[in-house]
Amino acid sequence: MHSPQPSSSLNELLSQRTDLWRGRRRPQARALSSGRADLDRWLPDQGWPSGRLIELMPTCLGLGELGLLLPVMAEQTRAARPVMLIAPPWIPCPQRLARAGVALDQLVVVRDIHHAFWAAEQGLKSGLCGLVMLWPPKGRVSERSVRRLQLAAEKGPAPAFVCYRPDQSAPPSLAALRLSIHPGPTLQVLRGGACHNDRFHLGHSNVIAWPGTRRAFRSAATATSDDSAASVARR
Amino acid sequence: MTQGSQLWAGLHCPDLPLKAVWQLSSIGGPLAVHDSIRGQARLLQVNAVAQQNGARPGQSLGQALAVLPQLQSRPRCRLAESRMLEQMALLAYQHSHQVSLAPPDTVLLEVGGSRRLRGGLEPLLDALRDEALSSGLQLRMGLAPAASAACLLARHGLRVRDAAAMQRTIGQLAIDHLMLKPNQQKAASDCGLHRVSELTALPRAERARRFGADMNRHLDELHGELSTPLAQWQPSEVFELRLELPVPTVRSDALMFVFNRALDTLGRWLEVRDQGLNQLNVRLEREDGGSGSTFDIGLARPGFDLDRLLELIQLKLDGIKLAGDIDAIKLNADSTAERRPAQSDLLDGTNRSDAWPALLDRLGARLGESGLSGLAPTSDHRPENAWTWVPPGTSSPCRDLRPRPSWLLPAPRPCRREHLVLEDGPERIESGWWDGQDCLRDYWIARDRKGRQLWVFQEHQPRHGWFVHGLFG
Repeated sequence: MHSPQPSSSLNELLSQRTDLWRGRRRPQARALSSGRADLDRWLPDQGWPSGRLIELMPTCLGLGELGLLLPVMAEQTRAARPVMLIAPPWIPCPQRLARAGVALDQLVVVRDIHHAFWAAEQGLKSGLCGLVMLWPPKGRVSERSVRRLQLAAEKGPAPAFVCYRPDQSAPPSLAALRLSIHPGPTLQVLRGGACHNDRFHLGHSNVIAWPGTRRAFRSAATATSDDSAASVARR
Repeated sequence: MTQGSQLWAGLHCPDLPLKAVWQLSSIGGPLAVHDSIRGQARLLQVNAVAQQNGARPGQSLGQALAVLPQLQSRPRCRLAESRMLEQMALLAYQHSHQVSLAPPDTVLLEVGGSRRLRGGLEPLLDALRDEALSSGLQLRMGLAPAASAACLLARHGLRVRDAAAMQRTIGQLAIDHLMLKPNQQKAASDCGLHRVSELTALPRAERARRFGADMNRHLDELHGELSTPLAQWQPSEVFELRLELPVPTVRSDALMFVFNRALDTLGRWLEVRDQGLNQLNVRLEREDGGSGSTFDIGLARPGFDLDRLLELIQLKLDGIKLAGDIDAIKLNADSTAERRPAQSDLLDGTNRSDAWPALLDRLGARLGESGLSGLAPTSDHRPENAWTWVPPGTSSPCRDLRPRPSWLLPAPRPCRREHLVLEDGPERIESGWWDGQDCLRDYWIARDRKGRQLWVFQEHQPRHGWFVHGLFG
């Protein structure tokens, strides 16, 4: 390193800010366990940073973004902290959610796509929700609306997830974390952590084996998959 | 309670006919109310502006308009007056359990039993006056140990607390103020009597001979020697209120002003009935008689919070497009429930149990019923029928443990088999023969070319082919 070492007091001041990205490891924000120990270890904040904006960029919708959040949704709803899913692209299957442990009476689905951002903001601002996840409607996502979400998220403990469509580009924002999701499904940190190039292989945690027979089709990769087994695949 | 310990307050609204027809238009130009007297429209009451500009009660309408062309006058409406009297009674009912109407313009309430409620009679009467003022009514108040005397003294704003003072005060009033029948009135002036004391000084038998037997009864009631039969007033079972706007408008701030006042009355009604609001039905009536707008405001938890309701109404108003000027609003509280006090969380001090329903109400007001839902599984073997939208907060047990994808498509979509790699399955679903929608399907987990895991099925009956039904995402 050739850069001069900043004085310790300045360093201290800077380190108190959790929203500054200084090209290295940030001080840790308060985080919510993702529900999987290996994923927690891999995430820059050792979990989902609470009260912050988290952007998910799947290469196509339906690649595992809901499955990724099922454990944390289950934990929050069981603690009577409501979860809001806003303008989801399809219908979340109640049987699957219930099986993952989500308390359905704490789940609110906002289907009105015209007021999606407004609803997300209200949910976050109230400070009552355990998690808010928004799928922005088709079209350009304005920087202003994301910025408002980010400010609203700071009012409460809930992490705010925004899941972009593949044809949408995320506006420059102050998201604490931006993850891309690749087929596999595999996660990659685009922003918000140390620049480690590791990818995290989620595994098919959401596939539950058929009861009984017929395992002929299963490949070696999926044979061990259940809710806990997943491996960190290093490049 | 004995007659002696009773103390009655009379609330008299001197300009009730004017207030009843003009309601909220107390501000602004010259206003009047007219009535047909002997076939001619004559002014009954005028407001201060009209008075200053030369309009007088008793003038014929034509004459008044000649003097003051910009005068606005409406015909007297007795129905509106009696509604307004009900509002006054509601006001009184908050302070006393014994309330009676003395039509056309006075309400009586027993205050002897409630004087300790506010720490004395004066604070109680002051509170009543302030509440009336905030709903736009200027009241005169009377106080007397007898109900019918209180009714009389209220017109003059006189207050007496014991029988001797009452007798003295009534005695000094002119006989015209007793509101006698015209023939009794004439008989009294023919006798040269002017004051009530002169009338009471006459021997009973003499009075009965000259003015009729009911005159004695009337005087006995006034002096508290005979109790007046009073019908106890009770707040109505259902709430219905129609308020007219001062000026027909589509502007929502003007509408909110009226809503504010209407909700005030609603809050009072709920309070005296000890009820919480479940649902409020709002109707906006258009000036040109066209179809107005109707909307419902539902509360997830019975209660009444003025600010919250106003916010919900504002959200609703923002969402509707008014085709024409609105000249009246109508509120209907058709669903109420027993009021339960809010509970706050012992540990973190926030009132979650109240805040969450409030948030749902706010979201529901803008998003509508179809915009905001919860999800529930239903017991049907066909996956497309195995779920339903429910109101948020509905809890439903789920016993289905078969593997299901995270996402369901709203309807199965045809797909091509050659694009899929089958990974696991099949699960056979054969169902629906009883309702004519029988199907025979084999469900598979497959992977598509984008690397997504899909939930697909091969249908054998009634159609043949491959369909995508969900995603494991």
